[in-house]
Amino acid sequence: MNVDALLQQIDPDGTSDLRADGRWAVWPNLDVRKMAATMIEHKVHFVTATAVLGADDTVRLLYHWSVDSQLITMETTVLEGRIPTISDLLPAADWVEREIRDYYGVEFTGRTDTPPLVLRAGDPPGLFSRTADLGHEANPAQTARAQVADVRGDDSDGAPAAEQVRADVEGEDAR
Amino acid sequence: MSLNVPLGPFHPALEEPYKIEVACEGERITDATITIGFNFRGIEWLAERKNYTQDIALLERVCGICSNVHSMMFCRAVEKIAGLEVPPRGAYIRVIMCELERMHSHLLWAGIACHIIGFETLFMTIFALREQVQDALESISGNRVNYGMNRPGGVNRDIGDPAAVLAVAKATSAAMTEQMIPLITKNRGIRSRCVGVGVLTPEDAYAFAAVGPVARASGVSIDLRKTDPYEAYDQFEFDVPVTTNGDVFDRVVVRALEIVESCRILEQAIESLPPGPVAGELFPHVPAGEAAIHQEAPRGEVFYYMESDGSDHPTRVRVRTPTFANMPSVRQMVIGQTLSDLGLIQASIDPCYSCTDR
Repeated sequence: MNVDALLQQIDPDGTSDLRADGRWAVWPNLDVRKMAATMIEHKVHFVTATAVLGADDTVRLLYHWSVDSQLITMETTVLEGRIPTISDLLPAADWVEREIRDYYGVEFTGRTDTPPLVLRAGDPPGLFSRTADLGHEANPAQTARAQVADVRGDDSDGAPAAEQVRADVEGEDAR
Repeated sequence: MSLNVPLGPFHPALEEPYKIEVACEGERITDATITIGFNFRGIEWLAERKNYTQDIALLERVCGICSNVHSMMFCRAVEKIAGLEVPPRGAYIRVIMCELERMHSHLLWAGIACHIIGFETLFMTIFALREQVQDALESISGNRVNYGMNRPGGVNRDIGDPAAVLAVAKATSAAMTEQMIPLITKNRGIRSRCVGVGVLTPEDAYAFAAVGPVARASGVSIDLRKTDPYEAYDQFEFDVPVTTNGDVFDRVVVRALEIVESCRILEQAIESLPPGPVAGELFPHVPAGEAAIHQEAPRGEVFYYMESDGSDHPTRVRVRTPTFANMPSVRQMVIGQTLSDLGLIQASIDPCYSCTDR
């Protein structure tokens, strides 16, 4: 398959680089839905998407595709924390989008529902973004639950928040 | 009568937590909802906070079955960013480790599948066979699970006794060809539980981005060892088994045939093992950069993305495991099937929830 023709179909003005790890197209204004529709039309395999947190809290979103087993990465920037979903076009993107929302709080517009994937129901999204400045001594799983207590209005730190979380969890278990 | 049946988070067939809730009309499944995350350890998060050497050990623990693949993927991503070359002997040893790991993973799955089907004799026979492969892995690395073999630029250990590994490959190939494959493919009990059960169509395999033996059993002819060779895979002759029925039986057959192909690769790799060093410099500097790579794990394509800012730790590590890609397609496989086949169907993708949750 001609990768240049494929990319031209998505954006006639777009350019790409051939790197050691495959083709990269860095397009800040990437039309992700047109990208998905074009890839589906040509039966290009979807690998996954990666969100990368930048220095100024911007999120780069990398869509990885496999054309005849050669990787193509299409990169764009998430503006104001929102980007259109492609999960209605390609079911394989469903879990990927839910996971990115769990980690970086990116909202995929056009979805009817975005339940957490690896976090628990009720946990606020954006775990990795919120904890980006924490060191390795922090526990990401505990951090997720502690944030729930904070969101519910318990603004004290340490034990009270933990007790609140424990009480909430026990309450849920009892139900 | 309509029923909702929740199964899990303790798995009815495998000892790992996840939940599937199925809606049934009588015995027939009409819908399914899958819930994961019970094993979430935040490994991607932790990897950004540990140095490259610590991360090799951390990433090796993404999975308890294909642990070698994950440390190798991490090291290959470092090699891409740093422009490191693996010496030929190191590349061959990586192939040998990968194929031994594929054999033990497939044999483990085949044994458990027989256990679920209720064929305990074959379960015991297959596990005895797998034990020889485990012994070979232990003789090379000193470990049965996390092998600690990989480092950026090569491997940590040479193979002390290649003849012993060759003997295991030949013995496994003979046992599979003469005993196991005829038994698995002709036994009426296995066929009655597997043929026509849990079908994944080629269209659904594409839409849900299924990978590995699950996709190849549905006619998707992609095996990165052949279609995008890495390390020394372009040096070896082997076939990629592909079938088209997409049912549980085809997934059994594809994996069984792949064990034989792994033995072929192992025999060639051991017999043509090149001389020379197995690795380069011990602690190479990793410059700023990023890399996206993929390779064929036992369960299918595994994908890593890594970003570095030139410091002693990566700034982003992304892990997409094969089970993460394959799990959503279970919904398509179970709809229309009977509740009693649910355990076998979900096990037929060879799921690894610790991989999926990371």
